[in-house]
Amino acid sequence: MKKVILTLMAIASVGQLAMAFCGFYVAKAGADLYNNKSEVILVRDGSNTTITMSNDFSGNVKDFAMVVPVPNVLDRSDIQIADRSIFQMLDAYSAPRLVEYYDYNPCGLPMPSMMDVSMEKESTTKMATYTALKDNFKYKVTIEAQYSVEEYDIVLLSAKDASGLKRWLVDNGYSIPAKAEHVLEPYIKSGLKFFVVKVDLNKYNPKANGGFLRPLQIKVKSDKFMLPIRLGMANSVGEQDMIVYAFSKRGRVECTNYRTVKMPTDNLVPTFIKPKFGTFYTDVFKNEYRKVGKNAVFLEYAWNVTPTFNGMKCDPCVGNPPYTREITMAGVPWANQNGVTTFFTRLHVRYTLDKFPEDLFFQETPNTEMYQARYVITNPATGDLSCAEGRVYQDKLRLRRRKELIELASLARWNTDSYYDYIAHGTDKVRSNKAKETDHNSKNINVPFWFFGKGSTPHKGLFLLVFGMLIVYSVKRLKLTLVKG
Amino acid sequence: MYSKISAHFNKETADPRYFQILYLGSFLFYGLCFLGWDGDAIKYIAIFASAIVTQMVFSYFTTKQYSSVKSALITSLGLSLLLKTGTIETAILASVFAISSKFLIRVNHKHLFNPANFGIVAAILLTNDAWVSPGQWGSSVLLWFIVGAGGLMMILKVGRIDTSITFLLVFGALLFIRHVIYLGWEPQVWLHKMSNGTLLLYAFFMITDPMTTPNHIKARILWSSLLGGALFVLSTFFYVQTAAIWLLFGVSLLTPIFDKLLIATKYQWNNLTASTINNPNQTT
Repeated sequence: MKKVILTLMAIASVGQLAMAFCGFYVAKAGADLYNNKSEVILVRDGSNTTITMSNDFSGNVKDFAMVVPVPNVLDRSDIQIADRSIFQMLDAYSAPRLVEYYDYNPCGLPMPSMMDVSMEKESTTKMATYTALKDNFKYKVTIEAQYSVEEYDIVLLSAKDASGLKRWLVDNGYSIPAKAEHVLEPYIKSGLKFFVVKVDLNKYNPKANGGFLRPLQIKVKSDKFMLPIRLGMANSVGEQDMIVYAFSKRGRVECTNYRTVKMPTDNLVPTFIKPKFGTFYTDVFKNEYRKVGKNAVFLEYAWNVTPTFNGMKCDPCVGNPPYTREITMAGVPWANQNGVTTFFTRLHVRYTLDKFPEDLFFQETPNTEMYQARYVITNPATGDLSCAEGRVYQDKLRLRRRKELIELASLARWNTDSYYDYIAHGTDKVRSNKAKETDHNSKNINVPFWFFGKGSTPHKGLFLLVFGMLIVYSVKRLKLTLVKG
Repeated sequence: MYSKISAHFNKETADPRYFQILYLGSFLFYGLCFLGWDGDAIKYIAIFASAIVTQMVFSYFTTKQYSSVKSALITSLGLSLLLKTGTIETAILASVFAISSKFLIRVNHKHLFNPANFGIVAAILLTNDAWVSPGQWGSSVLLWFIVGAGGLMMILKVGRIDTSITFLLVFGALLFIRHVIYLGWEPQVWLHKMSNGTLLLYAFFMITDPMTTPNHIKARILWSSLLGGALFVLSTFFYVQTAAIWLLFGVSLLTPIFDKLLIATKYQWNNLTASTINNPNQTT
């Protein structure tokens, strides 16, 4: 059976190569998959890092404010306004994808292999309040620079102590979270400056850019390749999602103080996933997040996107791959240089204060292996299947569907008990109303009990490790006793 | 017959390298099965095969004793645990350099560098395709406990407990002073840094190699304090995230100096045959 699936896959893959640049969407799970989310583009070039922060602030713009710890005082030329569309473009390009294949009818004319693609997305929130700024002596705060960048008013501050900085921010109209002072302190003592932003209401045009504030792009110079996430957690309870789009000349970007884990990929899942791919992927992510002990960074995409690179830019493409213009928009300074590689990495991190006590630190690696989070559905053959081969095919199809349900149960923890019609008829009719897809507590007979493999949790592994060592130790002791006896 | 087995077994248990192989092996297994490392079997086979072949070839031309294949296995396990690379060629290069360094770079009848460390440094410097992932183990206090307990058992056998403890104390204390007392981060930040699996593996397995640490206990304490202090400075103020690898390479150069200043017994894997080197010119 397995062999047949592999064969089907192999044939389908040929079609996929040809179709690589013309995928189209069947289902688009929109930008609202995650509630508390942000998007960041990181470009690493030697010791320069360009950080572009998405801005999905949707309240009253006069309430908007942002405080970002930065390693140095930025020049005016280090601050740009980026186009909002770059985030949508990169997200669409690199989002986890669903690929669709068709089986051939063994009794009749083969159907052409086709595929569809669907995707999922995310976005940002960051806030505080704002008004004006004046004297700063009593606060032990120094205004290092002050810029007006289109609709934004930007101040770069250095401070001597956290309470002074906090008072300065509060007195100047920023409502800083109560616990922020505690986090500001270590940043000040580490010599960081503060990049403080508010909107200049005179220059802000609510009708432009769809009513959204435009993303800010800053260039900082430091050997530290990191993202300060702690300030954002000062007042937040619960989980926050962040998508990092990283560009590097060498290869993949990975986290150095948390594990970087690949999302499961190339799994065969039931066809009824198609209309609810967004929910499916959210559940897969939730499950993986739980399995890694809630403190890892996930790799969702890694690809060579060098404009002059002749190979495939994605396989299949969910959205158009970024070319020189988009890569430049993302803040890559070498996009126009010939012979320089541009490697793109998409990381997804869900963080909470208790599991992510430290800021995120990154490194560039020479790892240029391409990777994408990709899930596969295979549509059954249609038409008359009454010939001998057709009957064999139908048996195999039922087996395959059973496996797809098991995969669904173990990947997304959906309760697949009520989908038993799927095995025989390929329908997604849920038989019992009591059953809920995402009921994690319900007993699920389809979850296989695996100790090994990709699906196992580190804690289970640690347990096994200890257990194994104990056994080896006991055996050694036992043998020694025997020998002595 | 029975006494033969008994003798063999006692000899086996007397050699701490068996414990080392067992522990490093189980960590490799853990990483591959539960931490989702890239399980490219050919790469691991290449590392092991080239290490063993290199060891055999050098043994043939030097001592003609082939029991040190155990050491080659330990080096291969160390490389498999720490070195990341995209190609088999780089893996082989690291492995061959690691083992060769044991035979070619020797001072006072001891090899100068930790072979696995030398292999990693060679691969990073000579190819554009090798790296280490400091975050690959994650940070879990449970991991601390297990690596610690396993490491402790192993180094108690080797008798290099002083190196690990001193290193962790010095590094941990400096880190605590800087991050918790001075900067004002919560103790969790410190705990997170200290429970990094790579740091622990390094402390318990890499720097406890009896062949590349000084012979005298005082020298070892000084040596590992130096390592801990330098690692703190490089990682905290210069943000070198893979500093540990480079530092061990650098600090290894000091080992012969320490050995010259403070003379003590050279370590023997089988301690029954340990001999005292009172005169550095005396051969063992």
